[in-house]
Amino acid sequence: MTAPDIRVEGLVKRYGRSGSPAVDGMDLEVRPGEFLGLLGPNGAGKTTLIGILTGVLAPTAGTALVRGLDVVKDRERVHRLIGLVPQDIALYDTLTARENLRYFGRLHGLRHEVLNERAEALLERTGLRERADEQVRGWSGGMQRRLNIVAALLHAPPIIFLDEPTVGIDVQSRAAIRELLREINAAGTTVLYTGHHLEEAELLCTRVVVMDHGRRVGEVADMQRGEDRERLEDLFLRLTGHALRD
Amino acid sequence: MLQRIRAHAHKELLLLLRDRTGLLLVFAMPLLLVTVMAVVQDAPFRDFSDRQVRVLFQDLDDGPVGAAIRQGLEATGSFTITDGRSLSEAELRDRVRSGRHQVGVVVPANASEVVAAGSAHAMALLFDPLTGDSTAANVPDSARVRMVVDPTVKHMFRDLVRGSLQRILAGIGSERLLADMRARIEALTGDTLPALDLRRPLVGVAQELAAGELHGGRVAADSTAHNVPAWTIFAMFFTVVLLAGNMVKERTSGCMVRLLTMPGGAAERIVGRIAAYLLVCLAQLVLLLGAGLALLPLLGLQALDPGPPAMLPLLLAAALTVGLAATAFGTFIGSVCRTQQQSAILGSTTVVLLSAIGGIWVPLYIMPQAMQAVGRLSPLHWSMEAFNTVLLRRGDLAELAVHLVPLLLFAGVCLLLSVVAERVVSSR
Repeated sequence: MTAPDIRVEGLVKRYGRSGSPAVDGMDLEVRPGEFLGLLGPNGAGKTTLIGILTGVLAPTAGTALVRGLDVVKDRERVHRLIGLVPQDIALYDTLTARENLRYFGRLHGLRHEVLNERAEALLERTGLRERADEQVRGWSGGMQRRLNIVAALLHAPPIIFLDEPTVGIDVQSRAAIRELLREINAAGTTVLYTGHHLEEAELLCTRVVVMDHGRRVGEVADMQRGEDRERLEDLFLRLTGHALRD
Repeated sequence: MLQRIRAHAHKELLLLLRDRTGLLLVFAMPLLLVTVMAVVQDAPFRDFSDRQVRVLFQDLDDGPVGAAIRQGLEATGSFTITDGRSLSEAELRDRVRSGRHQVGVVVPANASEVVAAGSAHAMALLFDPLTGDSTAANVPDSARVRMVVDPTVKHMFRDLVRGSLQRILAGIGSERLLADMRARIEALTGDTLPALDLRRPLVGVAQELAAGELHGGRVAADSTAHNVPAWTIFAMFFTVVLLAGNMVKERTSGCMVRLLTMPGGAAERIVGRIAAYLLVCLAQLVLLLGAGLALLPLLGLQALDPGPPAMLPLLLAAALTVGLAATAFGTFIGSVCRTQQQSAILGSTTVVLLSAIGGIWVPLYIMPQAMQAVGRLSPLHWSMEAFNTVLLRRGDLAELAVHLVPLLLFAGVCLLLSVVAERVVSSR
């Protein structure tokens, strides 16, 4: 059996002296090439978990490994293996799309030719090439979301983390992003996805883990089975309850 | 690592170039400030040889003493004299009170007679001790030269007029005494004595600067020499507002989260940012030195004297160190502020405050002692001293280092605190 790309054991994250931990003894494994959906209501701990796995946040306790590398001790090496699509539009809005990509690509150590080649290919693939010399602040939300993903794919990472990648955009842009994500997963990239769109998770994910109160509360092991897709919303509500989460 | 540092620096410069308001803030505003402040402060900086004190002169004596006083005042070159002989006392007072003239000088009608009488009394004491009156000559109040002063006139101007009058009157008295004495001796001996010129002092006064050239009697710290380095320093430190603002925006926009998942760390980001803003500081130096050399003389101000070419490396060292201190301070402000509003207010307020107490607006030496002590703690004062050491004192590297070392320490502390703050943010 191949080693998991992501392995989490007994992970705990407590912010300051707050009473309940944001992540509370989480266990998780993500296999190579898998498209894992991490679903949960607001405040379930999804973004915190991604923050720890990408080395942005330090865990309070437990272990988090990416391809066998500890995300705290081997942070620099982990960063070469991963790409993050943050929940916010993580772009410099007064720079053009090309300038943003050149900057992020150079931080990843990409040579000029390779960087240009990959940036142009991804811009073309996402329909952004024609307007790539415009400042990003003049773009629509959908275009900015697409570029937000392109910036994470620039260095061709084997593992990608998506934190609500399609929030607040139009149907066309969402469809284009889903298609792109399916493509990169089909090419072998391991994807860890979080979001609130159960329908999107049904379409994209090969497996879904449901989180609540910082813990793993359930799982749909094989999303390709028809009966699982139909049950996802019911399962979600059964596991996380009907109480509003504001 | 170098590629990443270059990437950070390039990105910072691009962000700055796209920010038109920011460009106005770091380039146009200092240019405007240096021009306006140099013109406004030109008068206070000029020495008194520029005929600044307007004197309304009323000679009621119409004799040799009145003429000698007027001649003496004119000879100083410090006064613009208007004749007020035809005015009444009330009219003279009104003209001074209205500010048209800063000082009125009234020579009494009997001034020449009083001087002659005083001298005669002294001669009697010297040459006829047995028959002469040994009591001091009684000079009536009406015989005194009076000064009428505009209440708004600074003390130093009043002192200048009073000092000049006292010197002239002493000279007139001495000359009269000497002339009478000579006449009495000639009468006693039958000889003809040579005339003595008392206006040439036996011991003179020479003025020189501790360093640099003396420009036609002007002191070196003229308005240009003060304002060009002062506002260059202010401009460099004011980049704090942009730098800190961009840092906070980076953090709150989500870009920082992306950067934290990329190779390289806080140190590389900080070095890249410092490199970019050092270039901005050097551009500010060139712009404002250029204004001092070419623009200010067009407005009738003294041109900046940058010194011999040999001073250029020292000027560059001073500018880079001041730029480093300013950039490090901006990095610190950007690290500790949570919103752009916070960084803008904290950055601009601290820079304006540190510049005010540090002698940027007005030189430290004219402030009260207590403020001078406080001002010496300001990094902008150390910066000013560094520039003055190069531009005015023509100091060497050792003298410059005295001011650069505290700036480097200040930069080091700011950067250390920034790295700690960024690590705290990234490890939360």
